Amino acid sequence: MDKSSSQRFDPLTRTWWLKHRFFKLYMVREATVLPLVFFILCLLAGFVSLLQGADSWQGWVAFMGSPIVLALNLLALAASLFHAATFFVLFPRVMPLRIAGHRLPDNMIVAGQWAGVLAVALLFFWLLGRA
Amino acid sequence: MQQRDFDIVIVGGGGAGLRAAIGAAEQASQQGSPQRIALLSKVYPMRSHTVAAEGGAAAVTSAEDTHQAHFDDTVSGGDWLVEQGVVDYFVHHAHQELVQMERWGCPWSRKDDGQVQVRRFGGMKTARTWFAADKTGFHMLHTLFQTSLKYPEIERFDEYFVLDLAVHDGAVVGVIALQIATGELTLLRAKAVVLATGGAGRLFRFNTNAGIVTGDGMAMAYRHGVALRDMEFVQYHPTGLPGSGILITEACRGEGGILLNKDGYRYLQDYGLGPETPLGHPENKYMELGPRDKLSQAFWQEQQAGRTGKFGDSDVVYLDLRHLGEKTILERLPFICELAKSYINVDPVKEPVPIRPAVHYTMGGIETNPQCETSIAGLYAAGECASVGLHGANRLGSNSLTELLVFGRLAGEQASRRAAQTEWADSGVLKAQADRQQALLTRLCDGQGSGEKWVDLKHAMVQAMESGCGIYRTEEGMQQSLAVIRQLRERYRQVRVNDTSKIFNTELLECIELGCGLDIAEASCLGALERRESRGAHQRLDEGMQKRDDVNYLKHSQVFYQGDGHAELRWQDVDVRFSAPAERAYGDAGKEGKA
Amino acid sequence: MSGDKIGTDNLNTKLISVKRYLPDRSTEPYWQSFELPVDDSTSLLDALNHIKEQLDSTLSYRWSCRMAICGSCGVMVNGIPKLGCKTFLRDYDGEIRIEPLAHFPVQRDLVVDMEIFLEHLAAVKPYLIDDNPVKPFDPAAPQTYQQSPAQLARYKQFANCINCGLCYSACPQFGLNPEFRGPAAIALAHRYNLDSRDHGKKQRMAELNRHEGVWSCTFVGFCSKVCPKHVDPAAAVNQGKVEAAKHTLIALFKG
Ligand SMILES: Cc1cc2nc3c(=O)[nH]c(=O)nc-3n(C[C@H](O)[C@H](O)[C@H](O)COP(=O)(O)OP(=O)(O)OC[C@H]3O[C@@H](n4cnc5c(N)ncnc54)[C@H](O)[C@@H]3O)c2cc1C
Ligand code: SF4
Ligand code: FES
Repeated sequence: MDKSSSQRFDPLTRTWWLKHRFFKLYMVREATVLPLVFFILCLLAGFVSLLQGADSWQGWVAFMGSPIVLALNLLALAASLFHAATFFVLFPRVMPLRIAGHRLPDNMIVAGQWAGVLAVALLFFWLLGRA
Repeated sequence: MQQRDFDIVIVGGGGAGLRAAIGAAEQASQQGSPQRIALLSKVYPMRSHTVAAEGGAAAVTSAEDTHQAHFDDTVSGGDWLVEQGVVDYFVHHAHQELVQMERWGCPWSRKDDGQVQVRRFGGMKTARTWFAADKTGFHMLHTLFQTSLKYPEIERFDEYFVLDLAVHDGAVVGVIALQIATGELTLLRAKAVVLATGGAGRLFRFNTNAGIVTGDGMAMAYRHGVALRDMEFVQYHPTGLPGSGILITEACRGEGGILLNKDGYRYLQDYGLGPETPLGHPENKYMELGPRDKLSQAFWQEQQAGRTGKFGDSDVVYLDLRHLGEKTILERLPFICELAKSYINVDPVKEPVPIRPAVHYTMGGIETNPQCETSIAGLYAAGECASVGLHGANRLGSNSLTELLVFGRLAGEQASRRAAQTEWADSGVLKAQADRQQALLTRLCDGQGSGEKWVDLKHAMVQAMESGCGIYRTEEGMQQSLAVIRQLRERYRQVRVNDTSKIFNTELLECIELGCGLDIAEASCLGALERRESRGAHQRLDEGMQKRDDVNYLKHSQVFYQGDGHAELRWQDVDVRFSAPAERAYGDAGKEGKA
Repeated sequence: MSGDKIGTDNLNTKLISVKRYLPDRSTEPYWQSFELPVDDSTSLLDALNHIKEQLDSTLSYRWSCRMAICGSCGVMVNGIPKLGCKTFLRDYDGEIRIEPLAHFPVQRDLVVDMEIFLEHLAAVKPYLIDDNPVKPFDPAAPQTYQQSPAQLARYKQFANCINCGLCYSACPQFGLNPEFRGPAAIALAHRYNLDSRDHGKKQRMAELNRHEGVWSCTFVGFCSKVCPKHVDPAAAVNQGKVEAAKHTLIALFKG
């Protein structure tokens, strides 16, 4: 007798990720790409309209100012921060850093990454302020 | 019923079985003719009980240490009831086996210079115990299992329960196994069989052993006429957790942990193990690093004197590690912290750990000669199930993990040599034996009989063993236990299981294990009763029997199975060719006593 | 000293429901409930043993060491994979629902077929590979490799896996595709790849650097959450991705 003949197997359903909190959180993390895609598309449209001339550019600026688009882009900002937060925590586990044979503590690496984000943001605002 | 043919069949996937399989495979390829090896185990190999060993494995390692010293420690530790030729072979092959493990990837703990580190262990004169944190057995077992995957000639039968051997004309011809997943019998014809089925700690109620340690292999060999030797010697480990019996390794004391009674007093100094060693400076063979039998006996004395504390409903003493400091404790004994926190909610960094003795190791077992062969030609035994003569009346901690390697390899090689010169026997005997086993299984599941329940019998057995064959024993207590066990063996003939299913019927397996347990329990009680002296782990309170008696009892006990009748006992001479029996002394008393 | 923390005085009863499956009787699983006495130290395994010995001897499940080291006793507890012997009933309120480990075929009751798990382990060559050792092993003059504590520390965590399979029950990618080698097997491969004594990384890459290897993983990360031994298999898999990517790049440049 073959043992597999009497076995029972429950295949995963499409709603597997609704089973518990951890999976839902994972799905949220994955879903953060959607608002980000929207943001990128906006950015692209902006470039195109800039090339097409002043009228087109004004139209884009107006479009960007509309409350719905503003809200969506705020959402994208929140999503990217959330994604960064989850990713930064994972990073030290993917690339454990070592100095002189000792593993750097995880929270130091995470803090380092946030410091990086802050630095880039400051640099950006500084450039913006000078322009 | 399916039949398969193999050159070698190995029963047991623990340290000894895996080492035997690899040893046989290597030997065969050296002989130039590959052999087919079957490795059977009732659980996946890495579930075997070797996985639970914590402390370490001994071998002479440092330049200052000598084979003679390891030999002396083992012989005196075993209270001279050891086969000295066997010990000599053991100490000379221990180191190479541990190095071999290292070459296979075992993550031994290291010194800063990259060399393997050794730690102290009870009853050993010097630090010679290799360790992998406090999970030595785990790492050894997984290393062996993973290494065994390299050998295509080893075919595994995981979750096959071996029921019986087939023997013809004084030689083994195969084994009969039950595939647990399907309930079908499989016949394995073989030219040589190695038993590596582990100990029998589950004969006792309070023990450190896994649920599968039920002595099946011992019973199989015994029922075919092989003697069980020195079965009266059962080691109590001094430090088990109250309630579950989960082991707290001796390495805690090797690292400097101390034992206190309820008044916070290091009571061991009152039992010939003193003087007190300074805190943080453990000394081999003194105080907490005395041998296990002495430490367990000291607990019993304290308990009698009312100086033990209480934890739940257990009497306990305390293992104090706090002075070692958090860093050392977490680095050297992480598993101990995890166990104590989970199972009794005590953090060893902050509190002393309550502990009590628990049955730990079966010194006796299937009698073999120094080449691991039993009285049945082609049948070998190695590891805790065997009595090759290494441990005598008391095993030293960390000798048995090494034993698995040294004698596992030897048994595998011997089996391979024999298989190269032997033909398969006619399968008639194997088939007939399998039919008998099938009939037995059918009977157990037929729902008839007086309705004896295995659970009741099991509880009665562990109770009887604990009360009659404990740390201290009396004539009357042992007689009572023996009588109870004999009665239980009779009742067992009426036993039936509820579960009649073929698929993964664990009730049936427990019931079969109990049958094995009862047979060897009788051997254990009989040996204990007849040994009218005190030696090693066998301590009697009876008048005139409280001392070792070399005139009458410098002898191995051999118990022979007599079917449904009472087992028989004989005495066998001990090999004392190198070292004459002397006083077994520890602490200051042991200083001059011995060379 | 701490005797009051534990013990029979905190006795109460708990309700445990077990998903039963007895293929010789019915092809359908069903739920069976038991009420049992528990105290502060009762583990789920103790409870199952109590059921088997006192209430229903036909219940089947695996166990052995009862000290969280043999890896036998994994089950789903309220939908989360856990070791029965390391799960304490004191930590649960209300009904406790026990099922066999998810994503594996069920043989009977709480017993699942682990065969595929073992195949995945074996596939990654989980043994030390050193084909041209500087000093071959010689039993007459046995010598170990050198390995500093720091070198040991690099892989030690990944060598602590007890093969319990909880991480496979936590991994939706394994649930969707059982051919995925999965967290424990990849962690084991990584353990040998990181071992200073090993030279087998190239051989293992063939297994790891493909879809059913590291690339099935989407870093859900639940495997590491449920791991009872802090192996962090998700870290191993994702470090494996970095290694695999390096491997591909190097192969590219070498032509
Ligand atoms: C908690 C604990 C800690 C220990 N620590 C140490 C230590 O630090 N140092 C030391 O030297 N020693 C130690 N020991 C002792 C040592 O671990 C054991 O003696 C040793 O591991 C036994 O190994 P083995 O291979 O003989 O048997 P096991 O590892 O018990 O394996 C037995 C095998 O036989 C199989 N089997 C049994 N019956 C059947 C059957 N009927 N059919 C099919 N297969 C069967 C099982 O499935 C298993 O694979 C410790 C023991 C315990 C209990
Ligand atoms: S990685 Fe953790 S969860 Fe997965 S099998 Fe190993 S010990 Fe179990
Ligand atoms: S019984 Fe061994 S891990 Fe739970």
